[in-house]
Amino acid sequence: MSLRSSVAITAGRTSYWFLHNFLHGGTALPGKITLAIDPDVLQDLAKNYETVIITGTNGKTLTTALTVKALKAKYSQVLTNPSGSNMKQGIVTAFLTSQKTKSGKNLAVLETDEANVELVTKYVRPKVFVLTNIFRDQMDRYGEIYTTYAKILAGIKLEPTATIIANGDAPIFNSVALPNPIIYYGIDAQEDKEQQALPNTDGLLCPKCQHILHYKKISYANLGKYYCPNCDFKRPELDFSVSKIIQQTPQSSEFIIDDTTINLHIGGTYNIYNALAAYSIARFFAIDSSLIATALNDNDEKIFGRQEVINVDNKEITLILVKNPVGLDQVLEMIKTDPEPFSLAVLLNANYADGIDTSWIWDGRFENLPFNNIPSVLAGGERYRDISFRLKVAGVSDKQFMERENLTEVLEALKKMPSNRIYVLATYTAVLQLRKLLANQGYIKEGME
Amino acid sequence: MSLKLNVAHLYGDLLNTYGDIGNILVLEYYAKQMNVELTSEIVSLDQQFEESKFDLSFFGGGQDYEQVIVSKDIQNKKEALTSFIENDGPMLAICGGYQLLGEYYISAKGEKIAGINALPHYTKSQDNNRFIGDIVIKNSETGQEYHGFENHNGMTFLGNGERPLGTVISGHGNNGEDKSEGAIYKNVFCSYFHGPILARNGELAKRLLLLALKRKYPTNDFTQQEQLEIKPTY
Repeated sequence: MSLRSSVAITAGRTSYWFLHNFLHGGTALPGKITLAIDPDVLQDLAKNYETVIITGTNGKTLTTALTVKALKAKYSQVLTNPSGSNMKQGIVTAFLTSQKTKSGKNLAVLETDEANVELVTKYVRPKVFVLTNIFRDQMDRYGEIYTTYAKILAGIKLEPTATIIANGDAPIFNSVALPNPIIYYGIDAQEDKEQQALPNTDGLLCPKCQHILHYKKISYANLGKYYCPNCDFKRPELDFSVSKIIQQTPQSSEFIIDDTTINLHIGGTYNIYNALAAYSIARFFAIDSSLIATALNDNDEKIFGRQEVINVDNKEITLILVKNPVGLDQVLEMIKTDPEPFSLAVLLNANYADGIDTSWIWDGRFENLPFNNIPSVLAGGERYRDISFRLKVAGVSDKQFMERENLTEVLEALKKMPSNRIYVLATYTAVLQLRKLLANQGYIKEGME
Repeated sequence: MSLKLNVAHLYGDLLNTYGDIGNILVLEYYAKQMNVELTSEIVSLDQQFEESKFDLSFFGGGQDYEQVIVSKDIQNKKEALTSFIENDGPMLAICGGYQLLGEYYISAKGEKIAGINALPHYTKSQDNNRFIGDIVIKNSETGQEYHGFENHNGMTFLGNGERPLGTVISGHGNNGEDKSEGAIYKNVFCSYFHGPILARNGELAKRLLLLALKRKYPTNDFTQQEQLEIKPTY
């Protein structure tokens, strides 16, 4: 290790120790300090690790957390970057603050932003790339799904012997021939039926002949058992698959991967994909499926924190972040499976971190919600007018509906809602604002996330 | 007699990037308030556009890759679409759809992509820049203001016989130069507005629906429909 690297690493570790102990936080700054002293420091830090890079539009954070949990069933030393810290500084901090084992494997599982895969790959020489999905995200920043995939490929091309573990149900991950070994996972739970994706689905062109893809099974959006009616392009053989989905509620999913039953303590088909990805990675690292199942079945609050349940004066409020069309639509699909009566609030902001264009709310099928069984619906946030009209078009009646721009008023309205269970869907800055209010009123402890 | 309108959603499975489906949902919403049953169907690759089947057309915007594929396929529908437009068929075209109705557009990569030349505008590209942000325009004929969100690399210049959908009050508009936004030609309305456009501009949805109704049922009395009050949504 060069002197510059050691100085950089020492400076970074010191700043982390200071931030962590005195300010109760700090995940990016130590990395930033270290990188300022030695921009190539990651190369030294990552040298003795077998690294897994997890990337894609949706599901990175949960897939990473579940993977770490599953790998820890066999390996004592598994490093990871904390939730959301997936830019370079956050990754440097993760290596800085980890202790290596003297014997056995050192594993690193890194949630990596799509635009950063190439940069991170240069330094950490990953053994595995995991590709979850690519959907249109905030279009003003990353652009098209093909551009996003090209950015990921630029990283993969630097490591032609690394194994790719990819979502086999996503046509885009089968669109470019690569020398790397590839493991595909997917969902095979329904009977085959000839069908086409919904009209507002992205990424439906056959990459070989540019005809519209057809499907025999669809999980959601453009994910499923696809085939081209005009050429031989079709979903690849799956190495790991969900063979049956037994039951789904907003709080749980019971399903079978190969012959192993998983009871996941979170709802949503998208989370079944996340668990399946984690399972596939753990199997790649030769962990028994029963050990993986035990790890995935654990009701670990730290892992499932993105879907937060908060008790407010005996109301059970589930706070869910929504940020892009496919994510929103999947959350709606999930909450409609709730057998209990529930109320709904949708809080829409359009600051930079939320995405400044709100047109994506029209791609969530609010029409499919059972409004007859939803006693109260609230539209809130800085752009409450946009979401208000969206909900009216979806069929919400004036009788069950209210508008509150100000989040303090939103919170008061939630406390008075007629059902005990309430789902609050909110964009990023609205989640932060509401959590702050809830913390001020003593319903939650304020976090640094 | 029950009133019915059938909408052609042109390339809805390929050009759907910015909540375009919302325009169809909003048309259904106001049509219902007018006691009109509105249905829509996708007309996409390798399909004919049967103009007699449709009372209204909607043409959205998409990603560069999909738009190039559409630009080739749409040449096979050029004749039918042009005939629909020339026979006063009402149409709403947004972003890529707007560009493809014109002579050509230059993509962000610099390629010249042919449109169907049904309308006389053309579109150039900006170097490494997009017009992004909220926009307000005013239509001088109706006095109506339209609100939207624009996000486009293309700079469109109108031709003879076209007039703008509105004059830019704030934002960039067609090209950032001449204060025009969108285009009107016969019963075709074009714009760069997302939002989607009809969600924030119900008056425009009402206008399209009335044009389609009066064209399909020329002897009917539409006083009741004309009196539909559009509540502000923005």
